[in-house]
Amino acid sequence: MGSRERRDHDRAPAERLADHREIGRLADELIPALIARLGASGLGEVEVREGDWKVRLRRPADAAPGFGRRLTDRGGRPAGNPARAMPGEPGATTDGQDPYRAAATSPAVGYYQPRSDVRPGSRVRHGDPIATIDVLGIPQEVVSPTDGIVGASMVEPGDAVEYGQPLLWVELLSGSPVLGDGLLGDGPPADRPLGAGLLGGRPLGEA
Amino acid sequence: MFRKILIANRGEIAVRILRACRTLGVDAVVAYSEADRDSLAVRLSDEAICIGPADAKRSYLSASAVISAAVVTGCDAIHPGYGFLSEDENFADVVRAHEMTFIGPPPQVLERFASKEATRRLLGGYGLPTIPGSTGMIRDDLHGIEEAERIGYPVLIKPSAGGGGKGMRMVRSQRELEAAMRVCRSEARAAFGDDSLYLEKWLEDTRHVEIQVAVDRFGHGVHLGERDCSVQRRHQKILEEGPTPALSAAARADLADRAIRAVVAAGYENVGTLEFLIDGAGNAYFIEINCRIQVEHPVTEMLTGIDMVETQLRIAAGEPLGFSQADVEFRGHAIELRINAEDADHDFRPSAGLVERYLAPGGPGVRMDSHLFAGYEVPPFYDSLLGKLIVWGRDREAAIERARAALDELVIEGLVTNVAFHRALLRNETFLAGRMTTNLLDRVGSAAFVAAAERR
Repeated sequence: MGSRERRDHDRAPAERLADHREIGRLADELIPALIARLGASGLGEVEVREGDWKVRLRRPADAAPGFGRRLTDRGGRPAGNPARAMPGEPGATTDGQDPYRAAATSPAVGYYQPRSDVRPGSRVRHGDPIATIDVLGIPQEVVSPTDGIVGASMVEPGDAVEYGQPLLWVELLSGSPVLGDGLLGDGPPADRPLGAGLLGGRPLGEA
Repeated sequence: MFRKILIANRGEIAVRILRACRTLGVDAVVAYSEADRDSLAVRLSDEAICIGPADAKRSYLSASAVISAAVVTGCDAIHPGYGFLSEDENFADVVRAHEMTFIGPPPQVLERFASKEATRRLLGGYGLPTIPGSTGMIRDDLHGIEEAERIGYPVLIKPSAGGGGKGMRMVRSQRELEAAMRVCRSEARAAFGDDSLYLEKWLEDTRHVEIQVAVDRFGHGVHLGERDCSVQRRHQKILEEGPTPALSAAARADLADRAIRAVVAAGYENVGTLEFLIDGAGNAYFIEINCRIQVEHPVTEMLTGIDMVETQLRIAAGEPLGFSQADVEFRGHAIELRINAEDADHDFRPSAGLVERYLAPGGPGVRMDSHLFAGYEVPPFYDSLLGKLIVWGRDREAAIERARAALDELVIEGLVTNVAFHRALLRNETFLAGRMTTNLLDRVGSAAFVAAAERR
């Protein structure tokens, strides 16, 4: 991590302060959910982007830290110090599914393009196309990993994305703090009637 | 020179290319599959991009994934390494269509040398000796018998549409030929939908010697000597060395000279390797040309001090070679041992898993090109090469001594490797006498070969 620290010292104090505040916020808001997501998946790594920021969680690789950066670290910002579990610590490996949401990931290297008929709040089913990746001019579908409601996007339209990169959140219908068990019961989520009020006034989409 | 290069390969060669880019001051992006997320090349890189899942067909062999990765990362050239897309002229064409450079011969040159048969005819026409064979395809049994008489038994019957040794049969007499032609024809028809056959002289107990060449865009070419790759198991090279113990200095110089003249005349461009079979009498026969950087390129680097990957990059970027044949000096003897994750005691079964400890050997004349580190998990999806141990000595004996000492220093724990096989090889009388032939390991069996060495 030597190079990251050096870069940190090179920046203006105000900039560093802002960065560190941002890191704190991301750590509080994002990392617990990410840990759950990484734990639930078979993936070695989970990465989330928000604006200029990106957080990546990597399973312990039993290897010395301090090697280089990857493509999506470009921009020279510290990558929010991925929360590395210590070797031998079960930590983020076996715990249950993220009860709230799942990320739709990129099927290919290319440029991210949202679909005009899918926006935050759109209701989607598992396997529905919810965005496209432009691969040398040929669109490839990004599909929803689950039944649910399209949530926040982790990338901007036109962004270069790599294979497997998380692109969009899809909020699960059951167990969601917004929708609540009391409102929806325990049945199959896709069968539930939905009201606009449940998502804070946003339309639930056309899906 | 290029601004930024996408490295579309993995393992030790990705690290090697990355190092060449660093010394040239060229930015590099490492393209990797999900299985190589924790690879050394990715860890050493300034920039890396995941191009697909572990399955090579959807990552390292996917032209669209590789080219798209180069486009989105703003690269102006793609280095394919060896294997994967390195000799795919269609890929090279598509790279050019996206206004990037394929690091290797230009697409039209790759196309010219794509067919082995056509390349033999082309370079044969420029003075390279080729294996005697039938003139064209065999029309009928009688024509086959006449051609075999002319070539001289034993002969090899080869299906025109075949490849990789499939459907070939060696015959030692007219009677065997008559019987075999019928079988070969029906086999070829069944396997390839084409039953045309041709004949080639069967060469027994041959050695594999290859000439390294480098030719720039302006037709200036040099040869960089030869490498002997006769230590093979099922057509897989295990140890390479230079100079070859099979030929005299005069014969080596003559062969290299003919090779460079022929490829320059035929319009070759960039680094390349011309493979020859050498028979027991020292006759050389041209087999094929490899239009890529090869696994064993460090042997040449140790002998000449010339950086082969840098040379490849410079030529692809349109630079002149910058040196002439007179500038190329050959010093001493170099040997490369391919360290593979395979179990020599169990038919060279590949192994994968966690590298628990790793220590590379060192000292004068010792080089280790490897992507290993302690804690690295060798994925089971790709080839078994863990690294290459290259040694240099003032002569063959000195190089062998250094190779033995370096092997003793090398520590790779957690995986089964072929290190013990190499130790045996370096004590084997046939190897020490410089008399290895390409079929020897398969004929006597690797286990017997190792056991024979241990008895000494």
